[in-house]
Amino acid sequence: MAIPPSELRRLAITRHVIYVLVAAAVVVPLALGLTPGKFEATPYSHKLFDKVNSLPPGTRVLLSFDFDPGTEAELLPMGAALLRHCFRNRLVPLVMTNIPSGVDLARKIVKEAADRSEPDWGRKQTSGVDYVFLGYRPGDVNLLLNMGENLKGAFQNDYYGKPTEDMPALKDIRSLKDLPLVIDLAASAWVELWIVYGADRFNFAYGAGVTAVMGPDMYPFLQSGQMVGMLNGLRGAADYEVLLEKLDRGTFGMMSQSVAHVLVIVLVLAANARFVYRRLTGREKD
Amino acid sequence: MWYKRTIPLALVFVAGLLGFVHEYIPHPLSGEFREEVTTSIRIIGGFGLFIGAYSLLHMHFSRIRRRQSGWGYSVFVFLGAAVMIFLGLWNEGDGPLVDPQPDVMTSLQWGYYYVLVPCQATIFSILAFFMASAAFRTFRVRNLSAALLLGAAIIVMFGRVPISEEFGRLLFGEGGSQLFPKASQVLMDYPNLAAKRGILLGVSLGAIAQSLRILFGIERSYMGGGD
Repeated sequence: MAIPPSELRRLAITRHVIYVLVAAAVVVPLALGLTPGKFEATPYSHKLFDKVNSLPPGTRVLLSFDFDPGTEAELLPMGAALLRHCFRNRLVPLVMTNIPSGVDLARKIVKEAADRSEPDWGRKQTSGVDYVFLGYRPGDVNLLLNMGENLKGAFQNDYYGKPTEDMPALKDIRSLKDLPLVIDLAASAWVELWIVYGADRFNFAYGAGVTAVMGPDMYPFLQSGQMVGMLNGLRGAADYEVLLEKLDRGTFGMMSQSVAHVLVIVLVLAANARFVYRRLTGREKD
Repeated sequence: MWYKRTIPLALVFVAGLLGFVHEYIPHPLSGEFREEVTTSIRIIGGFGLFIGAYSLLHMHFSRIRRRQSGWGYSVFVFLGAAVMIFLGLWNEGDGPLVDPQPDVMTSLQWGYYYVLVPCQATIFSILAFFMASAAFRTFRVRNLSAALLLGAAIIVMFGRVPISEEFGRLLFGEGGSQLFPKASQVLMDYPNLAAKRGILLGVSLGAIAQSLRILFGIERSYMGGGD
């Protein structure tokens, strides 16, 4: 049955009103600098934080930033918080990416976190010694398998062209098997690839940060213990910042997210109240 | 037709079998084979990049030539590609064969940070508008299943944001702050987990079956044609 023109006009107007409301729900709290009240970190964020926190100083942690600009709003704050945590605890982050269009983004996060380390923790971080940015190498799954055999062979130079062979940050690291923890931030199948071709083969602890829409897919891996923890969407980044006691982009986005979620709930409830009323009065049929 | 059908099928069978078998051979030769394959993939990827770029530009050139609806957008594809390729090759006057200086914002990086990043982020953020609009217009409690889904959606959406803790405190005092987050977590940890695991197992079994069909030449749709 064709929809009458008057109903089409009404739907079009409603859609535009919703767009304005959603935009206001997101922009106004950000513009006013509103921050949420006290909140507790979700269990899986807590687990990942505890895992990183349990590593002794000097431990190498591989961070794979497998995302591009499309999902930076959710994943970039996670990367920044993880790097700050590593620098605070004197861990040595080895950062790479499997996404060619994410290289500059990853480089920017690493540099910013390293630059902020001195004012934050009173320690200057030196590339190649306290951290290393390995950049991107093609090969996808085969790259992971090669890293499992010979990490310095897979990355013969870092992003800046310095040889990795004698780099202090990679001292005594031969392959993925020598790393106690790998964390992947991704908005794609890379999370599962890291589990299948990385963690399950080379026996390292594995955690991930994913976009909110991907979060539900990861629960089987969390329950099976294949993932030690997970940061889920912008809330995951906010959780990590709260645990780190360094509030940043993740936490500042929480008020926008709260208002937007409540708005959608109110809209759906209002539409259903109208639907039920019309059904009871016989004006709406199945 | 042996060169169109038999040779490709044989190549797929041999390559697939080697890719499968070498995983079970713990020998240095197996590792070397994998490294060789990785190198080959990089080379093929390089050619693939050219084919992809040619295909994209050819399609948009055809649109402009035929003045198809929305052909103006195709002009921007050429403009964007030309500007970024030029900036990459120019490399601040140093030419394409010199590494850019570390930690110096090049023109190419400027284009990346201030054009590509906002554009991609904008495209992804549009999702929020569509989701809100679609939820309002289509999510109706027509039966019990829809009512359960709506209830679960509201609990999860509300429990995921910090404001739910404030609301819990307001209703039930300090002890109630975790009411909505915990309810949300229970839904994610049990019904969601069960459904996702079922889907995961089903998809994995399907992928294995499909791989075997391709390996043994039963599934040939990837070769084109009707059979």
